[in-house]
Amino acid sequence: MERARMAVRVGWGALVGAVLLAAGLSRTAAAEDTKIVVDGSTTVGPIAKAFAEHFMQHNPGVKVTVAESGSGNGAKSLINGACDVADMSRFMKSEEFKAAVERGVFPVAHVVALDGLAVIVHPSNPVKELTKAQVADIYMGKITNWKDVGGPDAKIVVVSRDTNSGTYEAFEELVMKKRKMAEGIEYVGSNGAVRQRIQSTPGAIGYVGLGFADETVKALKIDGVEPNRDTVRSGRYPVARPLFMFTNGYPRPGSPVHSFVTLHLTKKGQEMVEGIGFVPVTDYK
Amino acid sequence: MRIETRKLLDKSFSGAGWISVFLMVAALAIILLPIAWRGAGAFVFRATVEHRRMMLELFGVGDPAEVSAETAAAAEARRPIYDMLARFRAELSAMPVADRRRMAGRLAQLENALRDLLGPLPGDPIPVLPRQRYGQTRWDRALKKLETVLFRETWDYSDPTRMGRKVMVPRAEDFKGTSLEPFFADVKMRVADMLRPKLAFYWRFLTDESRDSHFFGGIWPEMLGTIYLTIGAAMFAVPMGIISAVYLTEYAGDDRLTGALRTFIGALAGVPSIVFGLFGLAFFINTMKVSQSKSVLAGSLTLALLILPTIIRASEEAIRAVPAAYKEAALSLGAGKGRTIITVVLPAAMPGILTGIIISMGRAAGETAPIIFTAAVSVGDPLSLLETLSQPTPALPWNVYNMCTEHQKLDELRHVQFGMVLVLVMVVLALNVAAIWLRARISRKLKG
Repeated sequence: MERARMAVRVGWGALVGAVLLAAGLSRTAAAEDTKIVVDGSTTVGPIAKAFAEHFMQHNPGVKVTVAESGSGNGAKSLINGACDVADMSRFMKSEEFKAAVERGVFPVAHVVALDGLAVIVHPSNPVKELTKAQVADIYMGKITNWKDVGGPDAKIVVVSRDTNSGTYEAFEELVMKKRKMAEGIEYVGSNGAVRQRIQSTPGAIGYVGLGFADETVKALKIDGVEPNRDTVRSGRYPVARPLFMFTNGYPRPGSPVHSFVTLHLTKKGQEMVEGIGFVPVTDYK
Repeated sequence: MRIETRKLLDKSFSGAGWISVFLMVAALAIILLPIAWRGAGAFVFRATVEHRRMMLELFGVGDPAEVSAETAAAAEARRPIYDMLARFRAELSAMPVADRRRMAGRLAQLENALRDLLGPLPGDPIPVLPRQRYGQTRWDRALKKLETVLFRETWDYSDPTRMGRKVMVPRAEDFKGTSLEPFFADVKMRVADMLRPKLAFYWRFLTDESRDSHFFGGIWPEMLGTIYLTIGAAMFAVPMGIISAVYLTEYAGDDRLTGALRTFIGALAGVPSIVFGLFGLAFFINTMKVSQSKSVLAGSLTLALLILPTIIRASEEAIRAVPAAYKEAALSLGAGKGRTIITVVLPAAMPGILTGIIISMGRAAGETAPIIFTAAVSVGDPLSLLETLSQPTPALPWNVYNMCTEHQKLDELRHVQFGMVLVLVMVVLALNVAAIWLRARISRKLKG
């Protein structure tokens, strides 16, 4: 009896010991410059993934992992010290800055690309352009039928990103101007999901990052301007925004994180940004 | 009740039973067969010369001499096509301005479609992104892309009262009267020579790393991540589960506390898995800081919590099923309680316990929600054993979901997604079959 008790106790002890040991080991492993953990925006995700692959090809000793959980979660991760680079498709909010500074984290923004928020509809939809005011009216529920904006008599199915999304916040700021969206809007969790919803629904309208607006959906002109590389960079497209990677402080030059967040400044980095469908910050050609 | 009525009721009951069994099998077939069929497409498909070139350049697989000979043959077949394009470009510069602008736009579209099909055109710089460096690697995809070379998709909006209709305009009509008009028939005729499809068995899908976020290569990091997470979960949950089960059956009295403990374990089994995921994030990562970021370790611990109740239950049942005579015999020979448990009870119960462990490992392998916040990422290299302590990993269930909702080019990568689903289903199925086999073996043994 006594011995079995002992055995049980030893078992538990060994287990707790293993966990503590593991935790200790992971501390030391994290201290080395052998990994970069990237988390955040689903819009910046494709850029981060391409950068990660390119980076690992050229720096075999460094592991880069990329998660796409949304801008808000990216910011939270950075504040908690759970990631090295937070992808964000919006700027950090003042509350987030405050929370970060309180924890001794000082976010530094690196703009890796420019992006236009493409307002997309099903390609069968004859509507070619909308004004910003019309888009806002649609999302506020004031316009509910395509015939009110020059289309056929069909109900508008309004699709928006979830509120954790940086794309949502950018849309809210640039188009909605902080006015409230209507009840009964569909909120979906990613750019890909918005696109899928639009692809399969003739009456739907949604918005995605420029890199996600492919030939399976139709990107509308906004205020008469088509979203593309030139209109976004020149600032003529009215619903454009920068895409960020945030780090805790400016990374030490020569460190893996530094070369990762400056990759977009190289010619190859810019080519990758453009190849994926976003707009490089400067003209590299 | 009349005897006929009873018989009728009896028959209709067994009929209903048969029907429901049949429906279940049919539903399973409807779900599994397409998965198996389309998933097999990731392993067995007709591969083009681009596939073989890609495999050689990115993975170092294949005979360089053979591949370069084949690439040269394909280039030879492509040359007339590219020559026609070059001739047309020359013709273009001689056109009146209005025509030239219209034609140049169409030409740019055509060239992009052709790049999709065959890879970079002669004179293009080598693209940085691997996905743009190669033409279509799979013949089935190539035939789809061929359509976009031959036809231009437009929409007919002539009826303002309804949504538009899709119209496929042959590009040959776009270029009517120019030197490019015969181009399209030529492309269609030559496409097999230009891409040289051959049946390929791509078993390395399981063991290759993915390149350019799953455009090329296989699912090894995901496989390895799932293996790590599953084994890790079992490593934590099995000792704790068995010890708890021994305590509950052999030591705990039949008092209120034990009753409450049992209730808690039951409740734990009913908690939705996403709650475990959030708990794992809040407790293991944010509070305990077992790792700085998401990690395989944190994910394994979370999954261990998830499968713990199943293991405790299964072990308890197995220990209870050990005949009392075994224990009595051991005790009567002078063994202490601890020794009896370790040398007699646990070995006799082990088969049942193992079954429970294997089934719960199947559950851990397939769970998505607990690892979203604790372990899973969409892109990462395969990890070494030490790295699992501090680094997150891709894993099959999460990456199936992630690709489906998130990937920019999902439509071109359905085969990878189905391949992942198939592998995941097979892993879970194999674990379950192993459990069934084990159980059958044991019951045979027990019957003597």
